[in-house]
Amino acid sequence: MSVLQFFLQNRGQVLELTLEHLWMVGLSTLFATLIGIPLGILIAHRPVYNKPVLAGANIIQTIPSLALFGFLLPLPWLGARADRLAILALTLYALLPIIRNTYTGIRGIEPAVLEAGRGMGLTESQLLRQVELPLALNVILSGVRTAVVISIGLATIAAAIGAGGLGEFIFRGLAMVDNRVILAGAIPAALLALLADVGVGWLERRLQPR
Amino acid sequence: MRARLTLGAMVLLLTAGSSCSYSRTDRIVVGSKNFTESLILGEMMAQQIEAHTQLKVERRFYLAGTYICQQAMLAGRIDMYPEYTGTALTAILKQKASSDEKAVFLEVKKEYENRFHLTLGPPFGFNDTFAMEIRGEDARRFNIRTLSQAIPYAAKWRAGFGYEFMERPDGYRGLAAAYGLHFAEPPRVMDLGLLARALHEHQIDLAAGNTTDGLIPAMDFFVLADDRHYFPPYQAMAVIRQETLLLHPEAGPALDALAGQISDTDMQGLNYEVDGHHRDPVQVVREFLRNRKLIP
Amino acid sequence: MEESAPVIEICDVSCSVGGNDVLRGLTLQVERGEIMVLLGRSGSGKTTTLKLINRLVSPTSGEIRVHGVPTSQSDVIQLRRGIGYVIQDVGLFPHFTIEKNIGLVPRIEGWPAKRIGERVQELLKLVGLSQDIGPRYPHQLSGGQRQRVGVARALAADPEILLMDEPFGALDPLTRDELQKEFLSLQRKLRKTVVFVTHDLREAMRLGSRIALMEAGKLVTVLTPGEFVQSEDPLASAYVRAFGDGLLSSVNRGTS
Repeated sequence: MSVLQFFLQNRGQVLELTLEHLWMVGLSTLFATLIGIPLGILIAHRPVYNKPVLAGANIIQTIPSLALFGFLLPLPWLGARADRLAILALTLYALLPIIRNTYTGIRGIEPAVLEAGRGMGLTESQLLRQVELPLALNVILSGVRTAVVISIGLATIAAAIGAGGLGEFIFRGLAMVDNRVILAGAIPAALLALLADVGVGWLERRLQPR
Repeated sequence: MRARLTLGAMVLLLTAGSSCSYSRTDRIVVGSKNFTESLILGEMMAQQIEAHTQLKVERRFYLAGTYICQQAMLAGRIDMYPEYTGTALTAILKQKASSDEKAVFLEVKKEYENRFHLTLGPPFGFNDTFAMEIRGEDARRFNIRTLSQAIPYAAKWRAGFGYEFMERPDGYRGLAAAYGLHFAEPPRVMDLGLLARALHEHQIDLAAGNTTDGLIPAMDFFVLADDRHYFPPYQAMAVIRQETLLLHPEAGPALDALAGQISDTDMQGLNYEVDGHHRDPVQVVREFLRNRKLIP
Repeated sequence: MEESAPVIEICDVSCSVGGNDVLRGLTLQVERGEIMVLLGRSGSGKTTTLKLINRLVSPTSGEIRVHGVPTSQSDVIQLRRGIGYVIQDVGLFPHFTIEKNIGLVPRIEGWPAKRIGERVQELLKLVGLSQDIGPRYPHQLSGGQRQRVGVARALAADPEILLMDEPFGALDPLTRDELQKEFLSLQRKLRKTVVFVTHDLREAMRLGSRIALMEAGKLVTVLTPGEFVQSEDPLASAYVRAFGDGLLSSVNRGTS
């Protein structure tokens, strides 16, 4: 049976594992965005926090993913279920690109624009919502794109601790010494990463401020 | 503006699409661990359900271990898989093993039902625990059947063990203490796959294997009985999600039919068919079930 | 409030930024309807003085009063909304159309859309831009056009006070000349109270009703253009010499 036939025959399971995978990536990216963008705004406005926050996110990124999964296992509630744990770990890994790009995006705005805005009597929140965020949006999105692509890759490793997803095919295929099973996981994962990269990239270009 | 709408729509689709799970109303997912015996048992459970119910069965075999299987059960990704009482007790429930077979089974069943909403099917009939194997010719020559009887001969023997057996506290150390075993020299540690050959070729005289190892009958090995009941019981049975049984009660009797059907010897034979003769597990299982009149 | 009370009062203000004394003991009044030019070289403190008025910078000591109310006691947002602010780099919002740029303050002040539209049309006309500029984006405009929009934006909510920080400094001489002329005629119509920062004496002479000469954080002297040319003050005369002859012809005519 060729790889294609295998796919067709097991398309139910491929779909199910793909959805599991997307769930992990989607939820963790959402959390990382909800935490990371405000943090990025904070350090853009108060550069004194810049070093500790970026250093912290950087340190998390340098921890090898499997090791991070291992560290988080003993946690109560979170460690009891592999999928919760995977989502936590993926959220942590997604933080750095999002925080850093939010920071860069906002700092990259022409100072005259911000000065004019303040001088006109825009409140800090109006300035943020109407000027800073819209102008920084496509840089922030670029950070989200990086985060999503990283997460899709890392989520395959999450299968090693029982979180499911497309990585499960890969690990099972290895144990079965069956390439088709490995590819049933590897190909969709790679396709997802590509799709995310292209898709979010398209959005970035569309949202570019003139 | 359009791009923002697209962004919003994508996010919504992603979260919505991945949260509604693929329809489970007519499927059962059977899991197994990544070694032959577990695979055979999983296949057996799957074929039983396929033969006796209208349910479709999906196989999710070769999951990389006890923890992975447990997580998959808790998350509802699989509905059932074959497990061992001893493993459930020590690895999942983190309790100390006792040697009372029945007590262990009941304890595991109770805890699983209370803590995880999982239940146990009846035991399949065999115990896959550690086997102290010697060559059949030695067993006959010295007329020994139990480990206690082997103690005086042990002083002249060389033993061979796998790495895990050497390291585990309930492995060699505990065994030696329980029986007062002393060997001629320290046991040789070697790869599990090489133990059988080493025993066969007189490089070692005693090896630690598994009671259901297919090579036992094939190579005329003899398993010394654990008369002091040192090793904890590892009875095999199905672990099933209670929710699954509620949704598909017909699966219960299909699995119950396997109770007591597989003896130690039966399991050895099945393992050997797959590992030794390299036959397709699906065929081996189907043949077995047909012979026992369990499936048509 | 009396008609003759100064609109802006700077009372003995000192300002330290990052350990440096940028301003020392500055006292200055700006009368209604005049164009007060702050003239000096870089580092003289003129831009800082300007920013004190709309509280983009806070004084270390002393008080600034706008319409008689100390700025430290007013709501800073309301203060700024009542003051038009024009800077050299303009700072138009690149992601807004010209219409949205000009109409931003009215929009956040809650003006009805129709009124905003009318006001934008009016302002475009006032600053000499055609109506079809409205839907365009800043990057599509020339430098001169952009600064006209900057002025229009500053005037949108009809503030009484206009603060301008070297607004024409980045433009070519021809455009600068045009805009200066047009600004004068605008001022004749609108009669705003203007504080205008520049380092160019010719511009100061042309636009200012009074010139406040500043050096190293201190106010040196405040003179009308006519007085300035004939002044014996060493710094003032140095300026006059530096800018060469024919300055008298630049002297602003017909402001007050």
